[in-house]
Amino acid sequence: MSTELTMTLEVFRYHPETDHEPRFQAYEVPYDEDWVVLDALNWIKDHVDGSLTHRWSCRMGVCGSCGMMVNGDPKLTCAVFLKDYYPRPIKVEPLVNFPVERDLVVSLDGFMDKLEAVKPYIIRDDVNDTSGGEYLQSPAELAQYKQYSMCINCMLCYAACPVAGHEDEFLGPAALALGHRYNKDSRDQGQAERLDVMLVGEAIWGCTFVGECTVVCPKHVDPAGAIQQAKAVGAQEFFKRFVAPKGAGV
Amino acid sequence: MSGQFHRPHAWAWFLERPGYVRFMVRELTSFFVAGYLIVLLVTLGRLGGGEAAFAEWLSALSGPGWMLAHVVALIAAVWHSITWFAAVPQAMPVYLGEKKLPAPLAAVVMGYGPWLTVTAGIVWWVLR
Repeated sequence: MSTELTMTLEVFRYHPETDHEPRFQAYEVPYDEDWVVLDALNWIKDHVDGSLTHRWSCRMGVCGSCGMMVNGDPKLTCAVFLKDYYPRPIKVEPLVNFPVERDLVVSLDGFMDKLEAVKPYIIRDDVNDTSGGEYLQSPAELAQYKQYSMCINCMLCYAACPVAGHEDEFLGPAALALGHRYNKDSRDQGQAERLDVMLVGEAIWGCTFVGECTVVCPKHVDPAGAIQQAKAVGAQEFFKRFVAPKGAGV
Repeated sequence: MSGQFHRPHAWAWFLERPGYVRFMVRELTSFFVAGYLIVLLVTLGRLGGGEAAFAEWLSALSGPGWMLAHVVALIAAVWHSITWFAAVPQAMPVYLGEKKLPAPLAAVVMGYGPWLTVTAGIVWWVLR
C-alpha cells in the first residue's frame, strides 16, 4: 500500500454524553486506490481515534450495515471507492431521515417497527400441515417477486426519500417493497393482512413517486416500482369492497 | 433513547438532490396541463355560444400572449407525458413468462405506441 498520498475525510461526530450539537472532524487518511470509504473509517478507528463509532460487518455489500451519507449521497461505504473522490475531501455523515445515536450510527427503531408492520414473511393458513410436501413455484411465479426479495435493509432508500423524512406515518420504501414482495409470492396467503396496514392513511399513499429510492438502491430492488404496483393492488381492493363485503372471497 | 440528535429538515428540501428538482419540475408541469384543460373547456363553452362568440374567442387566442401560453403548455405537456411514459414500466411491469419486458420497450408498447397511434388518428380525422 502506498502511504505517500493522503486525502481528507470530514467525519460527522456526535457523542450524546458530551455534545449538544454535532460537529465535523477532519482526518488525513492514506490514499490507496483499492480502498473504499469504509476502509478509511476503519483506519481512523484503528490508528487515530478509537472513539469513532460506525456500523459495518460484511465489507461486501450484503449485510447492509455500513450505509452512510457520502458527500450527500446515501451509499454503502463498503462499495464506494476513495479513488472516485480523490483528491477532493470526502464528507461522511450518518444516514439522513433517522435520529443519530452516536457519530455515524443511526437509530433503527422506527424502521424496524415499520418493517415488522408489513409482516415480511410468508403467511399461510395451513402452516402446520406438511402432508402435501413442499410448496411448488414456477420460474414465472418466482420472477414476479424475485427483484424485491433482494433488499438487504440497508435503509439507503429512506435516506433518499423526501417523504420518509417528513411523514412519520409513511411506511417507507424498503418496508413497502418487502410487503409487496410477499404479496406477489404465489405461496403466500397474507395479502389481506398486509393491505390492512399498507392502505391506512399515509402508510403507502404518502409516496409521491419521487423515485430516488430506486436510484440509490445498491441491490436494484426498485422500491418505487413496487410501491406503485402495491398502490394499484390497493386501489383494486378498495373498489372490490364495494362489489362484495370483506371476506366474501372476491 | 434520550440523547439522540434529530437533524432539522431544510424547507428547500427539493433543491437537495437533482432527482428532487426533476420531480418538482414534473409536478409543476401539471399546473400547465390543468390550465390548458380550462382553456379547452372555455373554448367548448364559446363554441356552444354560437359562431360569433367562437370566432371572437379564436381571435383572442391568436394574440402573442396566448400563443406564448400555448407553446409553454405544449412543452409542459410533452415533458409530463415523456416522464409519465418513463415511469409506466415501473408501475406496470409486463412479464413474458419469467422475463420482464425491458423498460424502453415497455414504454413504447404501453406509452409512445398508443400515444402516437391515437394522435395520428386524430390528425387524420381532422385533415381528411
